[in-house]
Amino acid sequence: MISFDQIVSSFLPSLLEGMAVNFEIAGIAIALGLALGLILALARLRGGAGGAVAASAITLMRAAPTFVVMFFLLNALPRGAAVSGVMAVALSLLPYSAAFVADSGVDALRHVRAGSMLGALLFLPNVMRAFFVLVMSSSAGAAIGVGEGIAAILHEAERLSSLDDRLILFAIGVAAFGVPLQFGFALLRFVQKWLGIHLTRNRQEAT
Amino acid sequence: MRLLRRCALALRTALAVLVLLGGSVAAREDDSPDARLARLLEEARDAADTAACSSPDTDRLVRIFCAGHIRVGIREYYPLFATRVGNVRDGYEVDVAQALAKKLGVDVEFLRVNAASRIPLLAEDRIDLIIATMGHNTQRDTQVRFIRPHYYRSETIVVGPKPLAITGWDDIPGRTVCVTIGNGSNADLVAHDARLLLFDEAGVLPDRLLDGTCTLAAQDDSFFADAFTEPGFAARFDTKFGFAQVPWGMAVAREHSDRLATALDLISQIFHRDGVFLEIARKHHIATGFLQEQRKLWSSPTCNTATGFTNRACLLPAFDAELEPTPFAGAVTDFEDWFSALTGVELSLPMLKTMPAWSLFLSGIANTLVLIAGALSGTLLFALLIGLALSSTHRLPRWLARGLVVVLQSSPIVLTLVVASAVTHALLPYSAATALGAAIVALGLVNGSNAGQAIGEAMASLRAEEAASGRHVDQLFVRAVGRAATQIVAFLINAAKGTPIASFIGAPELLSALTDITSFSSGRATTYTLLLVFYTLVVIVVVALCRRLQVALEGRQVPAR
Repeated sequence: MISFDQIVSSFLPSLLEGMAVNFEIAGIAIALGLALGLILALARLRGGAGGAVAASAITLMRAAPTFVVMFFLLNALPRGAAVSGVMAVALSLLPYSAAFVADSGVDALRHVRAGSMLGALLFLPNVMRAFFVLVMSSSAGAAIGVGEGIAAILHEAERLSSLDDRLILFAIGVAAFGVPLQFGFALLRFVQKWLGIHLTRNRQEAT
Repeated sequence: MRLLRRCALALRTALAVLVLLGGSVAAREDDSPDARLARLLEEARDAADTAACSSPDTDRLVRIFCAGHIRVGIREYYPLFATRVGNVRDGYEVDVAQALAKKLGVDVEFLRVNAASRIPLLAEDRIDLIIATMGHNTQRDTQVRFIRPHYYRSETIVVGPKPLAITGWDDIPGRTVCVTIGNGSNADLVAHDARLLLFDEAGVLPDRLLDGTCTLAAQDDSFFADAFTEPGFAARFDTKFGFAQVPWGMAVAREHSDRLATALDLISQIFHRDGVFLEIARKHHIATGFLQEQRKLWSSPTCNTATGFTNRACLLPAFDAELEPTPFAGAVTDFEDWFSALTGVELSLPMLKTMPAWSLFLSGIANTLVLIAGALSGTLLFALLIGLALSSTHRLPRWLARGLVVVLQSSPIVLTLVVASAVTHALLPYSAATALGAAIVALGLVNGSNAGQAIGEAMASLRAEEAASGRHVDQLFVRAVGRAATQIVAFLINAAKGTPIASFIGAPELLSALTDITSFSSGRATTYTLLLVFYTLVVIVVVALCRRLQVALEGRQVPAR
């Protein structure tokens, strides 16, 4: 039977350490996604050949499965261009984050052109939502030996022989990821609500 | 006189017996490996005194005597076997080379080799002999002349934490094992349903075991021998079991090396019989089980003869590393060559060239299609069930469904897959079908819960809009599904995109199959590029089909009056 001491002294510190890696990966992926996604959004809004290329790139990036991209980056790149495990996971999340930022960026830029700055500001909670999705998706790193949160859970679970003990451990893992996630979504809802109120007030003042 | 004649006869008889006995002893000495070696070396030394030294066709043994030294290709960092610190070399193979040179009566010159360079250096006549942890397999038999009997034998061992109860192949299915790319024994692990975590270099495996990245690692026992000399490592890990035994052979060139090869065969035979190999192995603390067996064998009258090294009963066969080729392997190779010549891009299609790889590839594609169809159906089914529960007018199903959605949204997909797999395998024995089933349920639940939530929200909005219309709930539900069509389709696409992650729990889909194939063959870059193209195309097709479904679903959505 898994003991309370074992959980507190050994498991939780390694889980929190691993979760920090999840946030690190998501941070890198969203930063790169913002850079690439906004360029694609601008190109798409400008139209012409560049816009068509950007639209095709976004379609392809939406279709590329993260897990396969990760293995591609690890195995298909020439040795000189080899990346670390953390970077491979972050880069594998780039197609998703860039496509998401590009879509949200197009909406935001349209709002800016229409003169609705508050509407454009909805871009921020959308990016925040993408960040939380990326934190959860970064758990794919466990498959290539990256020491993130899920890897810590699985490592501890391997030592337990009983299914009940493992399920307790998994439940702690779900809670550890769930609390910041649900808090983040609550914050997101608050930001959206706040923006919505300001947006409505702004419109009312305009009319 | 009669007595004298009898005495003379007895003397003649005694002399005849003595002559016969003496002849027999001489014949026995001639038949010993030592005598044959002595004769062979003497002949070669004699030849070295003549002009033969400058002829390129001269046997390498003669040239070694001409030069006064033997050039031995040896590793420089293979702990316990051959290492070099400054000018000091140490290890089992270093001492074996020195013992051989002493027996030949020449000096030894060491030249650095690695796994890739050892055979080419021999072929280019830059070394006379390879003693460099080289396994004797049927493929290498065509490239070099191996010295028999073998000087060592290794096997692949599975190493893991001491408390982990793993005793053999029965405990391996579904477990992740860390291995190095290109290791021939990976095929055995794949055949026993192990999931492989690939690394480029064996050197990282002990560290990955220590930091918990790997729970199990499989590698040559000669490699782990060094790790087990570390007290910290030995205290935490042990060998679970071994497989894929490979004899190690010294090797010489196939051309102009007949005498050298025979001399080394004989020396090797003598070293086994006299326990020289065994003594050197003990000095370097490497496994000695094989050498003890060999000492016994080569001391037996059957093998301890001048021709013992050609006696099949005394020798170990080469490890058969050849994989059965596909009927179209030749055409595939031609295509690869044509493509490379045309584009300059190196193309390698290992999945089409050998029967085990081809079989894995076909089943990988079939399982991927089953998995995608299952994940899509599961997502749709769970979306409708959870949507129905969230739309219920009763609190209990609503709360249960809400709780399920919150839990599933809070759990990373990998963790959900692992939970589904753990529960499934607690109920059913491990198999490819159960792994696929667990993956379908997990992917269906994760995406279905989100889509179901969208249906529930659509239902709530419709109820609010049509509170006064007096329509029945079942009609409302159908319309709610139509209203949530965009979200449902988004999560169906997400489910299709997520299917490769099922390989994490051992579902034998295409990513898993190709990872297995590349673990024992070449062509990683091409393989993973094709894999990315395949999955991207599959997702694009799923997106196109889902858009049609979206149109059909939205068609059911009657505008609210």
